[in-house]
Amino acid sequence: MPMRTRIRTRTRSRTLLPFLLPAIGLYGLLMVYPLVRSISLSLTDSEGGPDSDFIGLANYREMLHDPAVRPALVNTLVFTVIVVLAQNAIGLALAALLRRWGAYGKALSVVLLLPALLSSLMASYIWSSLYQQDGAVNSLLNATGLGSLRHVWLGDPSTALYAIAVVHIWMSVGFAAAIYAAGFRTIPEDVLEAARLDGANRWQVFRKVEWPMLAPSVTVAVTLALFGCLRVLELPLVMTQGGPANATDTLGLSIYRTVFDSGNIGYGTAQSVLLLVVVTVLVTASNALLRRREGRVQ
Amino acid sequence: MSTPSKITPHLGGRSGPRAPVRGSTRSRRGARSLPARAAGTVLVIAFVTPFLFAVSTSLRTAQDVAAHVLALPTRPTLANFSRVASDIHYPRSVLNTVIITGGTCVVVVVLGAMAGYALGLTTRGWSRWTYRAFITGMGVPLFVFLTPLYLLLRDLNLLGTTFGVILVYSAWNLPVAVFFYTSFVRTIPGELGEAAAIDGAGRLRTFFAVYFPLLRPVTATLLIFITIAVWNDLMVPLIFLQDPDQRTVMVNAYSLLDSRVVRPTDLFPAALLGMAPLLVMFAFFQRRMVEGMSGGALKG
Repeated sequence: MPMRTRIRTRTRSRTLLPFLLPAIGLYGLLMVYPLVRSISLSLTDSEGGPDSDFIGLANYREMLHDPAVRPALVNTLVFTVIVVLAQNAIGLALAALLRRWGAYGKALSVVLLLPALLSSLMASYIWSSLYQQDGAVNSLLNATGLGSLRHVWLGDPSTALYAIAVVHIWMSVGFAAAIYAAGFRTIPEDVLEAARLDGANRWQVFRKVEWPMLAPSVTVAVTLALFGCLRVLELPLVMTQGGPANATDTLGLSIYRTVFDSGNIGYGTAQSVLLLVVVTVLVTASNALLRRREGRVQ
Repeated sequence: MSTPSKITPHLGGRSGPRAPVRGSTRSRRGARSLPARAAGTVLVIAFVTPFLFAVSTSLRTAQDVAAHVLALPTRPTLANFSRVASDIHYPRSVLNTVIITGGTCVVVVVLGAMAGYALGLTTRGWSRWTYRAFITGMGVPLFVFLTPLYLLLRDLNLLGTTFGVILVYSAWNLPVAVFFYTSFVRTIPGELGEAAAIDGAGRLRTFFAVYFPLLRPVTATLLIFITIAVWNDLMVPLIFLQDPDQRTVMVNAYSLLDSRVVRPTDLFPAALLGMAPLLVMFAFFQRRMVEGMSGGALKG
């Protein structure tokens, strides 16, 4: 019996290989190879032309001392933390709320997904217009008697990053809510009934029963949110060009500027590698933490 | 909390079959509650307002908008839409974008499903490493290696070709496809494949006849993701397609709007036109999409 299984596995692997090869080929050629080339480019002073010199880790050393890179990194991280937290908190709250509303709730959850259909580019343009000094947001505040809250949203360093964060949250909340809604649906009714019978009020039911059982949803939602936030580029590019005073400069934007405006490809690619490292580290760490939590609470 | 008569004896299990009972109790309570309804309406309004505003502004003349930002159209006009549509070469752009998006979908689904099939059925060491190699590519922002990609396509003589762009997008979306397909294939009982093998079907037959149809939910979810991502992307066609005839909707919209002073009566119609095909798709497949977005993601 064991020998038969072994032979079967070996033959299975071999006949399955052709199915894998096209994907590996495409992925290897157009993703892995450029990535490797990126890393080697980051070790040069290339400007895109034929001659470039190998300069070792000089680009990386310059990055450490570049006064523009650290704010960009910090802004990217702050932005990410704010958006991921808000997106998930609001998405969870919405999912918790809407599941009790039957058909009306379903319709609402669809409406929430509309902003996800917009491209970041268009959303940036639209919200830039809304955030203008005489734009819709300020006009609305005026009209509802909250005129004192008016700001130069995108021009004030203390509000700019948050203003942009709002746009990203607007675009991604519906999606987070959908993930959590599905998560709620996987919780068995009898477990909830048991908790209620024990006299737990709604908040206690949520904290002790539902929240732990939502752990897989949290993992998925947070991971996807992280992916989306860390590379944010179009939003600050269009809305604030990284200003005012670098308040909204992100890593993605800094890379874009270095490569396309300054033409300094070697240095820009080095920053890309930094971004890649940040993404990989954060996503792997958060994923590991969340998966472990899943195992613990379930 | 609930009176004993409301508690029906359970035989265990999930909330599925009992959902109607639960739903009716809950939604009766929730729907009746006025503050809840009010909150819901505020919510919808908050989310949809930018769109409503976009539509409303698009239907007004530029002078109207400049005079009163927040007013409703008094004499709605479609002039903005038609002007912008012609400025961005709408029909041609849509066709180009549809080709690129469709092509990417086909390549990703076929290659991804086959790879998922292979990786899902094998448990040997190399398959785990291959899987991991694909997964780490999931969150990579494309513009990170735009330059080497550009050089590569140039060397392959694929620069400025729609085919090249489709390949780039496909490679970029493959990790997600492999992730979903592999997870899903692992949940399909092995007996199905073995039964097909006993019937004399080769690997290819087994794949197409047995597995691929079963993967339909994943395919549906994936198609939605890919379509939204590729349709809305600006960077790749901007950099890789120089010929004006090949431009996508986003690129054309961008070149129209890329100036310091953007008029709302240009901006909002452009945004709405750019989004319209996706909206149509959304309207048709809306239920699939919501199911897909939430269900598909959790399968892994």
